[in-house]
Formats: sequence, structure tokens, C-alpha cells
Amino acid sequence: MANYLAQFQTIKNSCDHLIIAVEDVSDLWPIVKARFEERLPIKRACLNNKTRNPVYVEQLPAEFILTTDSRLRSRFPQEQSVFWFREPYATVVLVTCEDLDEFKTILKPRLKLIVQNDEREWFIVFVSKAHPSNDQATKLAKKIYAKLEVDFSSKKRERCCKLDIHGSEPSFWEDLDSKIVESIRNTLDRRIQFYEDEIRKFSEQRLMPVWNFCNFFILKESLAFMFEMAHLHEDSLREYDELDICYLETVNTTATKHREFGGVDHGDDQAALLKPGYKPLSQIVQDDSFREFEFRQYLFACQTKLLFKLNRSVEVASRGYSFVISFSKTLALHENTLSFCMREVWVITACLALINATISHYKDGIVAPDVEKEFYRLQGDLYSLSRIKFMRLAYLIGYGAHIERSPVNSAALSMLPWPKPAVWPLVPPDASSEVLAKEKMVFQANPRVKHFGIQRKPLPLEPSVLLREANRRRASLSAGNMFEMLDGRPGFTDGSGLDSSLRVSPLKGNVSSMSRTNSSPGNFETTVDRPMRLSEIQVADEHALHQTISDPDLWKSLSSLEGFEQKYLELTKGAADNYHRSWWKRHGVVLDGEIAAVCYKNGNYDLAAKSYEKVCALYAGEGWQDLLAEVLPNLAECQKILNDQAGYLSSCVRLLSLDKGLFLTKERQAFQSEVVRLAHSEMKHPVPLDVSSLITFSGNPGPPLELCDGDPGTLSVTVWSGFPDDITLDSLNLTLVTTSSVDEGVKAIKSSSTIILNPGRNNIILDLPPQKPGSYVLGVLTGQIGHLMFRSHSFSKGGPADSDDFMSYEKPTRPILKVFKPRALVDLAAAVSSALLMNEPQWIGLIVKPVNYSLKGAVLHVDTGPGLKIEESYGIEMERYTKVMQSAGDNGHAHDAGEGCSSVAEEFMQLTLTDGKVQLPDWASNINSVLWLPVRAVDDRLARGSSSVTPQTQSIVDGMRTIALKLEFGITHNQTFERTVAVHFTDPFHVSTRVADRCKDGTLLLQVILHSQVKATLTIYDAWLDLQGGFVHIGQGNGRPTSSFFPLVISPSSRAGILFGIRLGNLTTGGEADPDSILNIRYGISGDRTVGAHTLVAVENSESVGDKQNFLFRSALVLQRPVLDPCLAVGFLPLPSGGLRVGQLINMKWRIERLKDFEENADSCDNAEVLYEINANPENWMIAGRKRGHVSLSEKQGSRIIISIICVPLVAGYVRPPQLGLPNIDEANLSCNPAGPHLICVLPPALSSSFCIPA
Amino acid sequence: MASTACFIIVSRNDIPIYEAEVGSALKKEEAAHQHQFILNAALDIVQDIAWNTSAMFLKAVDRFNDLVVFFQEVHELYIKILLNPLYLPGSRITSSHFDTKVRGLARKYL
Repeated sequence: MANYLAQFQTIKNSCDHLIIAVEDVSDLWPIVKARFEERLPIKRACLNNKTRNPVYVEQLPAEFILTTDSRLRSRFPQEQSVFWFREPYATVVLVTCEDLDEFKTILKPRLKLIVQNDEREWFIVFVSKAHPSNDQATKLAKKIYAKLEVDFSSKKRERCCKLDIHGSEPSFWEDLDSKIVESIRNTLDRRIQFYEDEIRKFSEQRLMPVWNFCNFFILKESLAFMFEMAHLHEDSLREYDELDICYLETVNTTATKHREFGGVDHGDDQAALLKPGYKPLSQIVQDDSFREFEFRQYLFACQTKLLFKLNRSVEVASRGYSFVISFSKTLALHENTLSFCMREVWVITACLALINATISHYKDGIVAPDVEKEFYRLQGDLYSLSRIKFMRLAYLIGYGAHIERSPVNSAALSMLPWPKPAVWPLVPPDASSEVLAKEKMVFQANPRVKHFGIQRKPLPLEPSVLLREANRRRASLSAGNMFEMLDGRPGFTDGSGLDSSLRVSPLKGNVSSMSRTNSSPGNFETTVDRPMRLSEIQVADEHALHQTISDPDLWKSLSSLEGFEQKYLELTKGAADNYHRSWWKRHGVVLDGEIAAVCYKNGNYDLAAKSYEKVCALYAGEGWQDLLAEVLPNLAECQKILNDQAGYLSSCVRLLSLDKGLFLTKERQAFQSEVVRLAHSEMKHPVPLDVSSLITFSGNPGPPLELCDGDPGTLSVTVWSGFPDDITLDSLNLTLVTTSSVDEGVKAIKSSSTIILNPGRNNIILDLPPQKPGSYVLGVLTGQIGHLMFRSHSFSKGGPADSDDFMSYEKPTRPILKVFKPRALVDLAAAVSSALLMNEPQWIGLIVKPVNYSLKGAVLHVDTGPGLKIEESYGIEMERYTKVMQSAGDNGHAHDAGEGCSSVAEEFMQLTLTDGKVQLPDWASNINSVLWLPVRAVDDRLARGSSSVTPQTQSIVDGMRTIALKLEFGITHNQTFERTVAVHFTDPFHVSTRVADRCKDGTLLLQVILHSQVKATLTIYDAWLDLQGGFVHIGQGNGRPTSSFFPLVISPSSRAGILFGIRLGNLTTGGEADPDSILNIRYGISGDRTVGAHTLVAVENSESVGDKQNFLFRSALVLQRPVLDPCLAVGFLPLPSGGLRVGQLINMKWRIERLKDFEENADSCDNAEVLYEINANPENWMIAGRKRGHVSLSEKQGSRIIISIICVPLVAGYVRPPQLGLPNIDEANLSCNPAGPHLICVLPPALSSSFCIPA
Repeated sequence: MASTACFIIVSRNDIPIYEAEVGSALKKEEAAHQHQFILNAALDIVQDIAWNTSAMFLKAVDRFNDLVVFFQEVHELYIKILLNPLYLPGSRITSSHFDTKVRGLARKYL
């Protein structure tokens, strides 16, 4: 059957559609042909697929062929069964008849004969030529057709249809279509069944020796081809898939048999995986099967063709990729029979062919997005694969120095084994000039030096040293495995191949390899080919490749460096673009980096920088620092060349920010020097940069700094510098963010001077201006190095900045600063509340009480109010307050006192007042202390004594003096405290007098009562009375009482009395010069300034209180001469008996009687009028009526008048009643009854029963 | 067996937070870069798979089933690290204890 292959091929080529046979019984075909063929291709044909499920084929191509046609004749039955797919699928019998007899005798038997072949699917089309107007003919035709139906149609199946040529019968054509489709369907089913049976039968024999794959293939492909003809592509594809699997099984199970692989023909290097007709099958047949190389490509090509017909380009790509991979492995197995690098070349061409075919068939946008992604990913994979193989070829022929030793290339190439030809190609004899050229090229291509002097071992592009690999393959040809024995040395194979292959000169490499071979037995110079040098290998490779590669375009790409670069770029770009489209950003971006490397090499720095930026952004964004460290220097170099200072600066800073372990200190120092150089160069604009990973900061551990409102402070911040060397910052700012309120925003604090950061940890002290109350956390660190404005958001977590730089942590919100709400920080108060002595120097004690706040350096401004002055002659004293309290007997502060023991020497101090200011001593900054100010309250008025008649009316305000105090404190005297302290001054005594007794001889005993006003013991040494005119002392005394009483000691708040004996004297003797009597008291005071009034002496001198410290107190007394010539008498008329009650109205009455005439005032007519005035305490009395007025009183002696007024007492008790005064009348002319003040009793109000509620 | 394996834990944001080279082969200086490179590229695949399956991504990427015990044990360790209140999730794992344990597991299972 294998001989049928050629025939099979031609049959397949000649027929690609179904055939419908036309049995033209009545020579009708020429008439109806055109109308029949109009129906083709058949629309929406319903066919059954292999699993007997209906499938609708939209357009089924077919061809009508007459049975008399040569194509349907002269076939052998043997052929027919195998190539049954080309036989007609339906037979249309065209008949006409116009005579019943003719039908019966001629047509019917003929038809019976035609249709007796059961194999065929047939149906009869009766063509009626009768004109519709010809009624008889029409009838006849109908009759004959009816006969026909009876004879040929069965109940199961309608096999007849009628076409009226002259009539229009649209239903006929539909009928025809359905009948054709029905026939085709039935035929197809039957044939499928047939093929399946055959194939099954064949498969059963599979393990038998007679089995022949070719025959199986022909059957299987016939079935597949039939499906394809019937447009059942899915089924066809499945057949090919099965064939593929079956073939692979055959190949694998029969591997022991020696077979030819194929692929040795010229042009086989170009993949034919998309060209089913590349080689005729008959050429690739071998024994009972096919050569693998060609046949697998053929099968794949058939599948591809069907997939494209099914619009499944994505599947083509995915199947293609895996096919390329698996086929490449197969090629590797047979590499020793193939030409040099055949495998690599095949893969390149296969990938490119797949890419071109799928892209041209791919219709954008009709597939789901994820399928589209998949498609582009496959494109990227294909590009990438061909790119790798292309690089390998380029390396072999000496372009290795032009391939970037990047991780991506290294990863791809260093794990890709060398080609394994049976023998490494040998240098052609006349190639010495080429060898020289290669050597020159190697020397010229100076290896790319990394920027910043970064020393790195270059990544390998080769799995092992090419020099050795090639020589080994040559040597094994003639000298066994001599070199393989040498391979056993460790460290030679896995060492970097580059050093020995590229850096070391070929001569040296030769020598070293020679020395090794010399040590081995035998003389290699004679028995073995001389080991090739690298350049020789490259030339040999080039020649061998030239032999292998049949594609002129591919060879052109490899024959020159420019060609190589162009192709390399094309493949890289293709891969990168497709990966980007497939959202494989990492793959895409990495390849962008490769494009950038080429751009860089060609001086296209702009593009290179852009691409490198993408790569860096990817790695930086994901924190793959090792990879970033590889690329970032390249970007920096591009930026440097482009004079993109800002970018370059940024890159340098980023390089510094990377993990310290990634670069040597020397390299990092180089980065820093670049940063510093750039920052201080002449850039136009400052460059803002984020250095969060390079400079980190944190507050000091421990509790936050606590400040009172309005206080400045210094904030200590720890800053970690990631710079390898010291770096000078021109300025450094730090923002503080309030934790409480958002609207407050941020406050920046600045360092005043330049700061030098050492590598590692630094403590920076920043001045902190007064802040608003609240708690603050550190915000952003900003600063400047030349034109570089950096900012850092990064908190270090207490250690040196680690490398998680690109992560955004939630910032710790540990407050670094707390500013308290305004509160009292100090209190100033008067130490003594009791009164001090007026007009005498006195200590005023001011308690300075710091409230948890240091008063260090505080200054007190003292401003005395009116009537008070500071005694300059005394110093200001200051002492510890607790001590004062203790001495006062208060033990409550014993604890404080004990604490203060250590500094007892400092706890008393004399201070001086300059310009109204006192500087407080340091020892008093944290303790309560008392400041003693010597003052004197000035009151020019003479103290007035009170008599028992006129009550004491001295107001407390008179003795009040104020001191305005202002305390400036805090670190920069930013805090102030102001207070006005009131101090009460008083005279030592209040003097009241009363006439104790009036003796018959006119002597008056004047009792002077001294009320002590101060909280101090007063000692009276002497007292005398300077009498006013009209009074004289009795006897010839000087007005002093008996001196034996003195000194008279008066305890605080007690009273003492002194009795003076006086009598009335001549009024004229005194004259008007002395209106008042003056009481002089010489006294001493023994008081404590912490309690009250005292003598003003320094505390330490307090024992030496002597007479000198006596004070003189003068008080005026009013002595009244008795009334000698009363003119008017005023008498208070008695009140009604029964007493007064509160709220009761009473009538107060006074009687005024004229005792004698006023001679001196008689001419005044007004004298008839007397002015009166009622004085009453409004708290005690309510008065109804006129309080003041004139009453007329006759001039005559003895005339009298009664003044009455209605009063209501308001309070119960003994109260002074209202008094009647006559302001116009001199007191001396008045005689009152009662003479002095008197009291009356007022009862409480009577109970009102109406308010009583019975129980 | 002179194979080397590189084990990297990658956080949610594709950031490597732990890295260990395990295996018996001599450590090459340049290999570190390559391993990182390859694993980084592998993230593309993981990312694709993350859209398609809710199951473990690695299962779909590689011979996961051979290594399932190893991964389970490392996961246990990782959870212990996460439970440490001083460890900030997503930051680099610097615990030497973790490192030792992972290497031990690698010797045992890989």
C-alpha cells in the first residue's frame, strides 16, 4: 500500500471538495447545469460528525460531475476502497419522459438498472418540459411523475423530485438541496464507518510484524482528508492528532531499530512546520514508516492548516511552541547526525515562521482578553526562544563580546549546553586571514567596564569554556577521551569561562593547555590535531554555520556585526513588546533592559536611559535589590552622559540607598563623592529627592520631651546616615505633626548650623521654638546638601536602617514631644495676712511657690503702689519657705525641711533690688521660698482716736497697700507671672477715750483705751498726752501717768487702758493752735515678720532689740469741753411702754426748747427757723417723713416745739435709736438729754398665728 | 546531587522578604543574581495564575506535590514569625532561627 503514497498525494492535491455524480439519462444536463451549479456551495448543510452528532456546515463546496466524465471512470476497485473519499457522495439521476409507454418500457428498466447499486446514494430528478399553458402535457408529466414516485420512492425515503423547467418552483430547489445533503450525509456516514472499521482492524494488528505505519497513515489521513473535504475540520484535526500520537508511539517503541532521522537535506535547517507540502511524502518514506524529521513537521503542518481554518491562531502558537520545544529535544538526540548547529537554526526559523503565520492569521479583538494575553505571551516566548538560540549562534562565531552579560542573558545561555556535533568543525585550510580578523575583533571589543569602578565578576554566557569544549570534541576524534580525563580537575569547568576564553590572550591559553597536555603520555603534536585557538574555533564555526544555514536572511544577520545587532534588537524588541502586551511586565521590562544595553552601546543614550528607567522602576517597586544593583549603575551612566544632573543625582542617591552588602565600600564612596560633587555643582534648580532609605531618623527612646506651654526646648533626634563617609548637610529641618488635631498642620523645626553626619547613628539636637499645646510625632526630615533638597519619611526602628526601604510602613505614632496646656507654673502670695505697722519699715513676705517648674534665672519685678515705698537701706532677704513654716511651729513640711538640709547654707540669701528687679537665686528655683521686702507704708494722716461717743469709723481700705509683682522665668524668660499683692498696714493701736469720772473738783479722769491692732506683743515704754487748749493736766505733771507701770506689755489683740487726770483749763491759753489733744506713746514691738507686725531688723540681729527700736505712736483725741451756755435743749421723749417690736410703727418725738435768746444773732430773721436732721442707721430703722428740714421756733425764751417722726424698727435687740441733730447750732450751745448715745430695746416681731398650721 | 535550589518568600507586594539558597552545589557568586532574576520572572507566571485559580498558585506553577511537606513546614514557621508582635508583616525576615530551621527543612525534604 505504501506505493499508493504518490498517488494519494496527487489525489489529495487534485480534489478538495465533494463530488456529486449526475446520471444524465435523458440528456438534460446541459439544460439544467447552470441552474444546478448556482446552488453551490451548499448552504447550511447538516452533516454528522464522527460521533454522529449533527454539525451545520455553512458553506459546503461541491462539484457536479457527470458519470460519463473520465474522472469517475477507469478506477480499480482496490483504489476505490482506500481513496473512497474521492468517490461521489450523491448521484442525481436526471430524467424526463413525455410518454407513459416509453416510461414503462424504456425508462423504468433503465432506471432500475442504474439504482440497483446499493452503495450509491441516489435520487431522481424528474424534469418536466411541459409548458404550464399546455394543460395536457402538464397532466401527463404529472402522471408519469406519479408513476415514478410509486416505483422509486419508498415510505422510508423520498427519492424523487420534480423540476418544471418552465414553471417557477422555488420549493424544488430546497427539496433538491435537502436531498443532496441527505445523500451526502448518508454517504459520509457510511464511509466514516468504513474507514473506522478498517482503522480498527489495522490497529488490532499493530503489534504484529506485518504492521505497516504507512498503510495506517494512508487510511487515517484519508479519513482526515474526507473530513476536511466535508468541512468537518474539528474531526479532521482529531484524526491528525491521533496520527501524531500514534506516530510518536511507533517512533519510541521501535527506537531500537536503526532508523534514519532525516533532516540532512539542504534546506532542512529551515523549519517546514507550517508547510505540509514541503516534501512529498513518498520521499520521506522509510521502510514501513516515515523519517521523523520530515514527518513530524508534516503532521504539525497539517494540524496547523486545520487550526487556521478553524480560526484558532492562538492554539497554533501554543501547540507550535510546545512542538518547537519537544522537537528541539528530539533534534538534540540526533545532533551528531545533523549538520553543525542545525538544531539552533531550526528552532530560530521555526519560531519566526510561527510568529509570522500566527500574527497574520490572528484577528485582534475577537477573542477573550485572557486568550489574547495568552497569545501575546506565546509570541513573547517564541521571540525569546529564537533570541536565545540566535545569541548562542552569535557567540559561537565570535560576537560574544557584544552580548550584554546581563542576568537574563546569562540565565538563558549559561544553562544551555553547547551544540554537540559529532566532531567540532575544523578550520578551513585557507582561513588564516579570517582567524587574524577574529582575533583583532576580540581584542578591539574591550569588555565593557562597569561605571563607578564597580568590580563584579561578569556573569557567564557559556555553560563551559568554549575553547575546551571545541577542542575536546575534536580531540575525542583521534585521541579518545584525553581531554575528558583532564576535565576531572575541579574548578576548571565551573570557573568563569570568560577569563580564560576572552581575557587571556589566545597564545597564553594555548600555552597553558599545552603544558597540560605535555604532562600526559604521548606526543600530541604529532598524533593529535593541534588544539584550536578560540579565534580558530570561531572561524571554523562560522564556516560550518554557513554550510548549515540555507536561509540567506538569517545568514546575513550572522555574517556581520551590524546584521547581528539588528536581528538581535528585532528579536529582543519583539519579545519585549509581546510580553508587555501579555502583561508579563517582568519579562518585558527585563528585555527592555537588553534593548537599553544595545542603545547604550550605539550611543543612543536617550533611549537607553528611558528603558533602564523602566527596569529600575520595576525592580525598585518590588524591592529586588540585587537585580536593581545590577541595572542602576547603567542608568546612572546614561544620565551622566546625557547631562541629566537631576536624574544622575537621584540615581546616585538610590545606589547609596541600596543594601550595603551589594556594593563595596569603595564603590559606595564613589557614589557619595558623585552625590556631593553634583549637589555642589552649578545646577539651575534644586533637586528634590526622597532619601527615606538612606537617611532615617527617630526620636530618642524613652518618654517624650515634655514642655510647658510657651517654653522653647531642645529636641534630640537620632539620625542614621546610610552614607559610607561623613556627609555635610547644609541644613536640616524636621517637621512635627500634632497627633490631636488635623488642621494644625505641621510645624517645621530647623537646625541652625550645618551638620556633619557620620556614617551610622548620629544624635542631632534641634532647637525647638515654643509650640502649641498638644502631643507631637516626628513628621518628615528635610534638608539640603548643596542643590540637593532631600526629604526622608522613614522611621528607623531603633537599629541601623535596614533594607526594607521601599516599603511604606505605618509610621509609629510614639509622641516625641508633649506640650502641656497652659497651667499655673508659679504662685506668688503674701506670706503674712495680718496687718503690718503703718509708717514704720516692715518686711513684706512674698511666697514664691514654683509649681513643678524650675524658676532658674527668674527675675522678679517689684512695683510698689501709692503709699508704699521700698526701704532702700535694707537688703532684700530670701529664705526657704518650709523653714519659715517650721519656725512658725508648723510641722507639716518636715519632710521638705529634711530635704533642704543639705543646702541649708544656701537657703538664706541677701539680694539687691536694681531698677525694681530682683534676680532669684538658683537654689530657690525648685523650692518654695519667701522673699522679704523691706517697705514702709506712708500715711500722713494722724491717727484719730475715737471716743465712746463717736464710734470708730476707720476704714480697712485706709491701711491697704498694693505691690505689683511680675515674675519672668522660663528658659528665655518666656514665661511671666503677674500678680498684685495686697498688704494690710495699720497703726499699732486704736485709741478710744472716755471720761471715766468727773470729780467734784472739776478733775476729769480720762481713760485712754489702747486696742492692739497687730499680731505682736507691744510694750509701752512711755505715754503722755499733749492736751488741746482748754484742758490742762492736773498738778504740774507733764501728762505722764505713773511711770512705775511702764513698760506695759500688751499682748496681741488685747486692750490696755491708761488713765489721765485732767481738768478744764482756760480756754484762751491753748488758742486755736491745738485743736486736738495728742496722745503720744513710746512703744516697742516684739513681733515676728512671719506672723505680723514686727520691727524691721535683720533676722540675725533679732536678739539685740534695744530701746533704740522704740517707736512713737501719736494719736489725736477729741476732748470736748462741757456745754456751758446751752441755748437750746433737745430732749428725747420717752417711748411708749410695752417695748418696741420689729415692724411696729412708732412715733419718735423730740422736744426742742429755747433756753435763752441768742443775742448776737437776734437780727437774723432766719433765726426763727431751726434746721434739724434725723440720723439713723438705715439698717436698723426705716424712717417715714422728712429727715431734714426747718422748723420754726419762736425767738422767745421758753418757746418749744416737738418734732415727731414715724419709724419702724427693722432689727431686734439693743439698737441705737435715731438721733436728732441741729446742724446749724454749735454743739456748745446744745444741751441734750440723754447727753450721750443710748440704746433702746427692740423686741422680735410677734408670732403670726396665721402662719401656724395645726398638726 | 549537585543541584542548588533557591527559596524565596515573596510578600503580597512582590517584595522578597526571605531568601535562602539551599542545596549541595558550591555556591557561585554570580548565581545569586541569577536566581533572583529567575524567581522574579516567575512572578509573571504566578501573577497570571493568581487570576485563574483560587487554589495555591505554586501548585499550578511547579512540581508542588513533591515539595508539599517542605512548604507546609515552612508555612508553619512563617506563621510563628507572624505571631511575633515585633515582626512587622511584610518586612524582611531576619530571624536567624527561622533561617536555620528553613535550611534544616530543605536538607530534609529537598
